[in-house]
Amino acid sequence: MKELATIRFIGIRMSRDFITMLLLLVVPIILITVFSIILGEAEGLTGTPIRDETVVLLVLGFQLFGGAITMNYVHQDLFAERKDRLLSLPMNTRLYGFTIMLAGIVYSIVLGTILIAYTALIFDVNWGNFMWALLVITLMSSLSSIICLVFTFSVNNFKIAERLSEVYGVGMILLAGMFFPMPDNALINMFNDYVNPLMLAYTTIDQVRSGGLSDGWLNAVLLSVLIIIAFGLLLLTGRRRMP
Amino acid sequence: MVNVWRFMNIVFLIALWMYQDPPLVSFLFVISLAIIVCLRWRFRLPSWMIIIDLLLCFLFIPFWSSSAYGLALPVYEMMSRQKYRFLIIVILLLTLFELYSIVLLWLLFQAGVFGVWDASSSKQRERYITEADRERHARHALENVKEELLQSSRKAAQLAEVSERNRIARDLHDHVGHDLTGANLALEAYEQLEGKEAEVMLNEVKLRVARSTAMLRDTVHDMTPVARIGVDVLEHIAKEFIHTPVSFQCSGDMQLVPAHYWGLLEPCLKEALTNVARHSDATEVNVNLDVTMYLVRLSIQDNGTGSKHLGEGSGIRNLKVRARANGGSVTVNAVNGYQVVCVLPLEEDGR
Amino acid sequence: MTIFIFALKRILRDKTNVLFLTLFPIAAIFLPLAQEGWPLLPLGYQYFGVLLLFVSIRLTGIMIEDRQKGVVKRLAAAPISHFNYLWQNLLAFSVIMVIQTVIVIIGGHVYGHELYGPWNLAILYIVFTFTSISISLAWNSLYRSKESSFLIFMAVIVLMALLGGILFPMEMMPEAFQRIAVIFPTYWLSEGIEWIVLGEDRGDFLFINGVLLLYALFFLIIGSIRRIS
Repeated sequence: MKELATIRFIGIRMSRDFITMLLLLVVPIILITVFSIILGEAEGLTGTPIRDETVVLLVLGFQLFGGAITMNYVHQDLFAERKDRLLSLPMNTRLYGFTIMLAGIVYSIVLGTILIAYTALIFDVNWGNFMWALLVITLMSSLSSIICLVFTFSVNNFKIAERLSEVYGVGMILLAGMFFPMPDNALINMFNDYVNPLMLAYTTIDQVRSGGLSDGWLNAVLLSVLIIIAFGLLLLTGRRRMP
Repeated sequence: MVNVWRFMNIVFLIALWMYQDPPLVSFLFVISLAIIVCLRWRFRLPSWMIIIDLLLCFLFIPFWSSSAYGLALPVYEMMSRQKYRFLIIVILLLTLFELYSIVLLWLLFQAGVFGVWDASSSKQRERYITEADRERHARHALENVKEELLQSSRKAAQLAEVSERNRIARDLHDHVGHDLTGANLALEAYEQLEGKEAEVMLNEVKLRVARSTAMLRDTVHDMTPVARIGVDVLEHIAKEFIHTPVSFQCSGDMQLVPAHYWGLLEPCLKEALTNVARHSDATEVNVNLDVTMYLVRLSIQDNGTGSKHLGEGSGIRNLKVRARANGGSVTVNAVNGYQVVCVLPLEEDGR
Repeated sequence: MTIFIFALKRILRDKTNVLFLTLFPIAAIFLPLAQEGWPLLPLGYQYFGVLLLFVSIRLTGIMIEDRQKGVVKRLAAAPISHFNYLWQNLLAFSVIMVIQTVIVIIGGHVYGHELYGPWNLAILYIVFTFTSISISLAWNSLYRSKESSFLIFMAVIVLMALLGGILFPMEMMPEAFQRIAVIFPTYWLSEGIEWIVLGEDRGDFLFINGVLLLYALFFLIIGSIRRIS
């Protein structure tokens, strides 16, 4: 289990990577601040303040990009600069890759938690049950990390894998209709209802804070199913590519 | 530092613009001023460009009275460049638009003082820099002189040695020459003399010849180089070879052979003799060195019978390469005994 | 014009660039008009300014790459001035982006969008092209690596678009934000778009374009600084 002990050093490395920190923490904080100020106390059609809606979507949306950290570290350590050094160590590389994934997920959760705390304390955003929000954040960050790893393993060129992860993030946000409303198409609606992780996570939080606990559970389970499917894919692709 | 101040002014203007919310047109003023500040940051603009700043202020003060704060920039500029006549325009502008705000005047005054201070400090800095440059230059020159002195002293020592040697050689030569001439004259006189006088004269001649011989020997031993050169080397090598008797013959004018050829002929001979010593059953070796007008030919022939195979060692191969580089050749043939021939061409001008 | 031609070749050789330069503008053409009455132009045209910023930071990235790979150092030793290098590269970028803009405008016109004044829109976007190129040039001069410059600029673009009133109507913003917005070039872009739909006074349009051009000049002066490493 010495591989798991490296999580400390991975954590230190991540905490020194200030550009990632800037992109995943400072930028959302600025965006959330701006949005919150712009939106003010306006109420949407359903009665929940638009601000709550947008801010929750933003925080969850940034979770979609959290997997990029895991992806970069796995690529650096197991496929690029440090590959040979790591392979020469008496260490199980698969377990090490898993450790990196764990560290990335934890890091992403920490960033998400900071954002939740910030929005809840400063702008009084209603997150419903805090533990629920944390659970959803955990699910989201796991899913994003796993999917990004699947991209890393299934594409030979890492640049393309990076682009794919961006497509994943931006695409989900686009489909969720955050930039502009999506056309009212049955396929897109179904995708948003049952597959789009962003919408699943948002619905979970939205349902739980408005009392629809069973619907919340349903969405959370759907999200978990997505994670399990992605994990299966990860095992399949990782078995082939893992050094 | 100055640029920080300039950009701070722009930031101040932007903040003021936002705070006061004047007509949108005056934003042009802020951007234009920012562009000029940028240009001043990148390049050193001529001083007449101050007019443009002033013109901008003049144009925009009617739209937005706080444009006058932008005057701080040109005021700084004119003070730091000591173009005091532009101050008249500033005063004219202030009176024309009746801008008597104490804050504005104080700001402009500050800008002016800053300009004067900056000009003087930069002048001082320039002076220090030139002085440092001069000193560095002087030190460099001094080091050069030192180096030259050392060199010339070395050269002087060398020269002294050479001239001293020449002097001694000349002196000796003169003395020996005198003695010999004297001996010659005495001999001629001796032929005419008889009896006791003749005996005295003969003794004189003997004495002179003996003295000059001794002196000559001394001179030769002391003053000529000990190292052998040219054909002497080859002869010496042949003589020193004790394995088999070596006969050495040379013909032709050895002066025609350029010095660097000896460096090739010598290892050639050595190599051939070494081969004889190591592989051959020869009892006799003939070495011939012939120099003609056009070539040098060195042949080493032995009468051995054992080495019928023409195996070439790296020594011979190496020599072949070197000979070829000089336009010549080294050939080996084993028909009658073993023979190594080295032929080198001579230049047309007979060097 | 060797550098100019080479810059064109380099840009078109990169597949991601080609994607940025073709797929996204074409997608922009087909985006519909929003239902709520804002934005005034079809969405693709409202957001085209953001796309231009993205494209320009991608294109100017090759100049950072030159610095990273030491090409600039070698150029400094070559018998070619920095000025030459700069203007030929910038010309290549602007030519590509202007062509892209023109294609998008023509495409929208053919597709049947109500563009109000396509000529004016083309002028506005071409002017904004210059502004965005010089902004990204200035931005790049602050960085040593292409990747970090690009990533952080993405965030800056979103902020500029947000605060400049491209993503939200200006009137929704608080008073203070409306004033601050003026310093963003994107504000002038959205003002320009508004003028094209609603405006009347020709002078206003000239003024808006003038401000954008002044911005372009400002950032060009900052960005033209010669950095070796």
